[in-house]
Amino acid sequence: MFKQFTEHIDGNQVYLLFSLFIFPVFFIVVTLLLLRLRKQHVDYMSDIPLNDCTETDIKLSKP
Amino acid sequence: MQPDKFYYDNKIVRNFGIATVIWGIIGMLVGLIIAIQLYQPAMNMHNQYTTFGRIRPLHTNAVIFAFVGNAIFMGIYYSLQRLMKTRMYRDVLSKLHFWGWQLIIVSAVITLPLGMTTSHEYAELEWPIDILITIVWVVFGINMFGTIIKRRERHIYVAVWFYIATFVTIAVLHIVNSVELPVSFTKSYMVFAGVQDALVQWWYGHNAVAFFLTTPYLGMMYYFLPKMANRPIYSYKLSILHFWALIFIYIWAGPHHLLYTTLPGWAQSLGVVFSIMLLAPSWGGMINGLLTLRGAWDKVRDDVTLKFMVVGLTAYGMATFEGPMLSLKQVNAIGHFTDWIIAHVHVGALGWNGFLTFAILYWLIPRIYKTELYSKKMASFHFWIGTLGILFYAIPMYISGFTQGLMWKEFTPEGILRYPNFLETTMRILPMHVMRSVGGAMYLTGVIVMAVNLYKTAAQGKLVANEAAEAMPLEKVNAHAGTERWHRRLERKPILFMIGSLIVILIGTFIELMPTLTISSNIPTIASVKPYTPLELQGRDLYIREGCSNCHSQTIRPFRSETERYGEYSKAGEFVYDHPFLWGSKRTGPDLQREGGKYGDSWHYNHLMDPRLMSPGSIMPEYSWLIHQKLDTTTTPAKIRAMQVLGVPYPAGYDKLANQDLDKQAKGIADNLAKDKIRVKSNKEIIAIIAYLQRLGTDIKANKTANNN
Repeated sequence: MFKQFTEHIDGNQVYLLFSLFIFPVFFIVVTLLLLRLRKQHVDYMSDIPLNDCTETDIKLSKP
Repeated sequence: MQPDKFYYDNKIVRNFGIATVIWGIIGMLVGLIIAIQLYQPAMNMHNQYTTFGRIRPLHTNAVIFAFVGNAIFMGIYYSLQRLMKTRMYRDVLSKLHFWGWQLIIVSAVITLPLGMTTSHEYAELEWPIDILITIVWVVFGINMFGTIIKRRERHIYVAVWFYIATFVTIAVLHIVNSVELPVSFTKSYMVFAGVQDALVQWWYGHNAVAFFLTTPYLGMMYYFLPKMANRPIYSYKLSILHFWALIFIYIWAGPHHLLYTTLPGWAQSLGVVFSIMLLAPSWGGMINGLLTLRGAWDKVRDDVTLKFMVVGLTAYGMATFEGPMLSLKQVNAIGHFTDWIIAHVHVGALGWNGFLTFAILYWLIPRIYKTELYSKKMASFHFWIGTLGILFYAIPMYISGFTQGLMWKEFTPEGILRYPNFLETTMRILPMHVMRSVGGAMYLTGVIVMAVNLYKTAAQGKLVANEAAEAMPLEKVNAHAGTERWHRRLERKPILFMIGSLIVILIGTFIELMPTLTISSNIPTIASVKPYTPLELQGRDLYIREGCSNCHSQTIRPFRSETERYGEYSKAGEFVYDHPFLWGSKRTGPDLQREGGKYGDSWHYNHLMDPRLMSPGSIMPEYSWLIHQKLDTTTTPAKIRAMQVLGVPYPAGYDKLANQDLDKQAKGIADNLAKDKIRVKSNKEIIAIIAYLQRLGTDIKANKTANNN
């Protein structure tokens, strides 16, 4: 049944292969960029939600 | 430099919280009513406005857009202000957003039971409401980006990326899936037809799950889970990878809803491959969430919010494992159209969305009221009855799904269907439907207990409508911009971030949608397929109004078990005049694509009047009002003109003649019924719907020699 479609769409294999190709490339690029992130920055970003800057937080942070 | 003093707006958070709870109870109650109707049809109270086909969309819209929608805005308005260290951009926009969203929901509550629907699942609302949704969404967007731009925190935390991706993707999905041609103020036709319409709808439908039920909740998880556990997220790097991989992959997976249909095979394969890949980022997110609790598992024992979080994340993991599995063609062949899908959806909805929402409500309401939770015991009771409710819901539905899927496919050694009567398979699963409604009732009980608990909590405290905060204003940065890492720079530029997210989701969208929408050879036309007659067209609109496609599919897959049961498998060219497509996604009743000519007109008349007359034990509701209500033929010319605009080849000027043909055909059916001693006037709605049902699938039957061009 599906033969009729694959025979009638020009370049369908290109679509399939191109689609499958771009994700690994994208994934590898993001991973490489991540590996280059500095630990200091990562720690800073991870802590952002823990400080709301409300009065309670401010009181807690004072010695 | 002195820190800025400012105030967080807690009132808007509270308002969205109240709306979440109220709409949650209403949406789940409607869900319970329709669940009972599936074994006790009389629960529709013999009323068209409370019948399954019309209020099932009310249930889905209420729980998705009212319950989950309000919960998303509650979570975003609370966390965004704190992550950006500023008040929301404009209070007036917050209020407009809140009341605008409630107006949309009220419009849905009014129009859906009246049968005003586009029939696109999870996008049933008609065009004026679609425009209202667009306006309110833009208001939300301006408010969100305004807040991000005036922030006092230089870097944008991962939760906010998920919010940005949600905003931009839902905007794209909503606009593309709502391209419809208005016929009147309450009626429109989808611009795309048949296969193309199906692809657009399921690209939307799947990504509504992705970008409304998933990404905003992941954003909330990344903010609220560290707050609840009082420790940072397990891996920030993993969260970045999670984000980009998830939004990239999700957008491609829609075609797994259309496996074995007439959608081009390559698009189906693409959907399957990306669905399987989706497991990785989904589980990456779940693992990141669960590992955040490392070293804090002792807290889970005492803290009810963490209990809800853990079960919610586990449910997310289960649903996102099951999704890729169901997208495998061999599994999908059994699971699709059955209760298995209902179980799958509800593990995600009740477990992931529901439990995360409850966790956030229990955590947030006492904080903005500066008090303790009224009763930890009640919250604990809610947790346990909710968890048991999910089990009592999901397990019977899994059993029911496997039973249906296997019974539909079973052959005798002689090679004939073992259960040729569809009703036999329905009767077998009714005990499971009873169990499911018990599970749903348990879950709803928990939510009501939570509502009381939260009300008492609020009553014993006092809302801090404006919560004081202070933070250093941002200094301009130029000095080290050139040496910054790529992602660090991106984290400071919200608009650029939005554009980046948009590009990522558009890649999948274009590659997947464009060939089917633009290359005509994807939809081979069939010479014998003709446009619907005016009466059939009116009947089709009644079929849409009554929501028949909620229970009956109109697409026959190329399996012997289906061609034996229903007839010739579906061809893409058969649907070219179907604005919208009506393939459905669930077979509570049998497929109807080849219904035409199977039974006489009088059978359909009696069956619609009382299904149990013709099929004893049937759970289909009666449609007696179709016998009494007069068909509105004043709309025929406008409908014909609209179809002509959409490319349906009615002759020029046919709009003026259409009602003559309609009357003639209607009289023929009425005369035919009279021969069987059924006296009904030809101007009644039931005549039109019989005309439509008798037309279904007959183009192919009528001309067996038709070739694909």
